[in-house]
Amino acid sequence: MAEEINKEELKQKIIEYLQKKPWQVRDLAKILRVKKKELDKIVQELINEGKAAYWSSGSTTYITTPEKLKEMEEKRSGV
Amino acid sequence: MPVVDGVELPETPLLDELEKGPWPSFVKEIKRAAVESEKAMKAGKKIKLPGAAKGLLKVLELSYKDKRTHWKHGGIVAVYGYGGGVIGRYCDLEDKIPEVWHFHTMRINMPAGWFYSTKALRAICDAWEKWGSGLTNLHGSTGDIILLGTRTEHLQPMANALAYLDKLYGSPAPFDIGGSGSDLRTPSACMGPALCEFACYDTLEACYQFTIRYQDELHRPMWPYKFKIKCSGCPNDCVASKARSDFAIIGTWKDEIQIDQEAVKEYAKAGVDIEKQVVKKCPTGAISWDGNELKIDNKNCIRCMHCINVLPKALKPGKERGATILIGGKAPFVDGAIIGWVAVPFIPADELIDKCCEILEAIWDWWDENGKFRERVGELIWRVGMSEFLKVIGQKADVRMVYAPRNNPFIFWRELQD
Repeated sequence: MAEEINKEELKQKIIEYLQKKPWQVRDLAKILRVKKKELDKIVQELINEGKAAYWSSGSTTYITTPEKLKEMEEKRSGV
Repeated sequence: MPVVDGVELPETPLLDELEKGPWPSFVKEIKRAAVESEKAMKAGKKIKLPGAAKGLLKVLELSYKDKRTHWKHGGIVAVYGYGGGVIGRYCDLEDKIPEVWHFHTMRINMPAGWFYSTKALRAICDAWEKWGSGLTNLHGSTGDIILLGTRTEHLQPMANALAYLDKLYGSPAPFDIGGSGSDLRTPSACMGPALCEFACYDTLEACYQFTIRYQDELHRPMWPYKFKIKCSGCPNDCVASKARSDFAIIGTWKDEIQIDQEAVKEYAKAGVDIEKQVVKKCPTGAISWDGNELKIDNKNCIRCMHCINVLPKALKPGKERGATILIGGKAPFVDGAIIGWVAVPFIPADELIDKCCEILEAIWDWWDENGKFRERVGELIWRVGMSEFLKVIGQKADVRMVYAPRNNPFIFWRELQD
């Protein structure tokens, strides 16, 4: 149970960071002091839940929020 | 304005130059696609982007005129649950050429060895004509089927069409999206034992197994940068794995080249100059021919494949077959080109796939932990040293592992001056 709460807290923290700018999971793992492999799984859960999304610079991939993704896409497409 | 088959095409004097000459022309093909899609639309076919090929002609012409690109790179990865396989492209001339404002590329996982039936190809093209520009590029440098140009809102329907290509379009099998971004790129293989007698292991099976086992790595980017696996059945390396992949699996043999002396004599009788075309061309001088018998000093053979390529009926790779693993190959980016260099000299063919998976997983863990942003695995090895890397994959240093890899994929030959 305690583990579940920690995971939910961690998810919340990840979302807070993602709202600021797109991140690579490895950098988030360092900041949040979580093993990257564990964070990969949690980020995947967030993506499946529709709370996070992939965004690509063209050759490298970042994680962001769906809202931020929409905003960046509009900017890139020139809307 | 030129008119072809009743379809008006834009004026493209600069692009027209690229139609001249005896070689195939992409301009000719784009024009053909523009005509075909307009005709199909007039015939009542459901096409979402009928003007895309025409728009592409206009943008290209302008790029040649303005001497700069009008494409903006990167952006959305809009297929649900996938982090790779779609490369965002936007045109900065959305008001002038709205037909190609969104022009995203989709990478589709090709079958191992690029074996298709025409039915499968037709089905892919039919789906792409409906949801995209109809333009394709077979194949991209990793090997994927490249579908060029669609709008954001058509990405998901196209991915769905591929997933049900068998049911919706009569393809023998459905297709999936390939890799892009910081993930495992679509593994590729030469045609191997399906068509080639030199194959020293089953490249198609290896490629298939890697693709299936590493679906997560392929679709969910998680690494510092891209990682490519290529399987070549013999040292001819038809998929250019040593220059173009981080992890090259190149078929080789441990024992002696098999020689059919009678077939060698037949070649000589048929006019092949064995001395000039084979013996003198051996880079280590390991071959001799007395007009009756061809001898090979196998200890000095460096597996260049020249003699086998010249005399394919008479010479064959040895019977004890397997593969060499080369690591770190890549085309130029941060640190310039690196040709892959030997990490594991020999793995027997029957142990190859499991052993490769073991090594791959160890490499990925290490690289993911230690690699810098946009640092390929070869660059990491270059930075920390081969001895560190050998500890990761549990190998001891070997004379076949050179100190520094070659960094120029081309060999320029000059005759020695006396």
